[in-house]
Amino acid sequence: MPEETHVLDLLPAYVLGSLDADEASYVEEHLLSCWICRGESSTFQDVAEQLSFAAPAEVPSADLKERLLQRVQAVRPRARVPAQATRRPWLERLLPVWGLASLGLIIALAAFTLSLWQRLNQLEFITAPGGMRAIPLSAVDATSDATGFIIVSGNGDNGALVVDGLPPLDADRQYQLWLIRDGERTSGAVFSTDEENYGGTRVRVAGSLLEYSAVDVTIEPTGGSSKPTGVAVLGGSLFNP
Amino acid sequence: MKSSADYARYDDERLISLIAQLQTEALDQLYERYNRPIFSLALMIVGDRATAEEITLDVFMRVWQKAGSYRADQAKVSTWLTHIARHHAIDVLRRRAVRPDQYAVSLDEITPGVPFPAQDPEELAEQSLRRERILAAIARLPADQKQALTLAYFGGYTQTQIAEALKQPLGTIKTRIKLAMQRLRDFLRDEQEQEDKSAQALNTYNMSEDDQ
Repeated sequence: MPEETHVLDLLPAYVLGSLDADEASYVEEHLLSCWICRGESSTFQDVAEQLSFAAPAEVPSADLKERLLQRVQAVRPRARVPAQATRRPWLERLLPVWGLASLGLIIALAAFTLSLWQRLNQLEFITAPGGMRAIPLSAVDATSDATGFIIVSGNGDNGALVVDGLPPLDADRQYQLWLIRDGERTSGAVFSTDEENYGGTRVRVAGSLLEYSAVDVTIEPTGGSSKPTGVAVLGGSLFNP
Repeated sequence: MKSSADYARYDDERLISLIAQLQTEALDQLYERYNRPIFSLALMIVGDRATAEEITLDVFMRVWQKAGSYRADQAKVSTWLTHIARHHAIDVLRRRAVRPDQYAVSLDEITPGVPFPAQDPEELAEQSLRRERILAAIARLPADQKQALTLAYFGGYTQTQIAEALKQPLGTIKTRIKLAMQRLRDFLRDEQEQEDKSAQALNTYNMSEDDQ
């Protein structure tokens, strides 16, 4: 990657969360594909963590731990069942989304084998027979457990988005998918997630999805924005590595 | 059956893996290690103890519920905790219509020698050392860089908001924040290298004593 395209000067403010939304989105997009800037960003993340220790030393109430353990006990019956066991399998979770998609896509989906779905869970970029592709998305924030996939039909005319690990937002906000081409973002979908932090939607865009190089998901006012205004939570490259 | 002494010996990552198995004793131990810096950070940002305690509870509840998704290759446990705490606190701050002490957050009154009150001396000595190290680094920054950095980190303000508040050109604020972070990084890196060399020299000395 040519040096002039790096975002090194923006990284200190980026890790502090003090960039404006458009600059932050630009940096996030760049970090998806640049290991040099990711490495540099990591060194500033360490500084940010150290900064937290500069706060004046204070001690919380003596009963705070007891309150914590009481809360834990209150949620424990639900938590006692391993989280993975309570979640619907990927294929089952995808079905409602594909119910929204075209019949052709649903038929094509059947071509995916069980092994392919296992590979999906390992965040691989999958190309199925017929050219249908499943592209993994990962959390922009390294400490988040959000994940997702965009599934694109062979000709790029149809697509679906599935996300997991994104908490439901308040009534004033929704998630918005952006498709990125030459640094320009086009809205692909506006969606919400359920109490299981799971969501899915059909991806709609003029032209072919194959014309875009990357995607990200931001938090926007309900109904979506004409351009990103909020923080990005998921991102991914549409290029097959 | 593990005792509390067993949990005290485990490193942070081991505790997280045990929390993922719903062992409350592991959460208890992690709380003992980090409740003070987490609470202190939250209090510095939001300014009132009741809210800071709620944020501290939320941080450890999130750990309890999300420990299974923690990825050691992406962040240290302490980084994960402080990241959650800071973002949560700033989110609370931004939702407030009015900030009571707008732009008043300052690191100037912090005394470098004040340690975290120790419960487990060994663990909290480590936290106090980190605190002394970052305060020494911050003390070396020019006042204008310190001010911009503090507003960004503890105030949750964007560079544009800081420029407007301080009536300075945006480019000036960007430069201050960039230089401040670069200087802190360089200082902390030099300190770490010095410590590593000292530890290595001590190790070499001890080995030669054993040989004799």
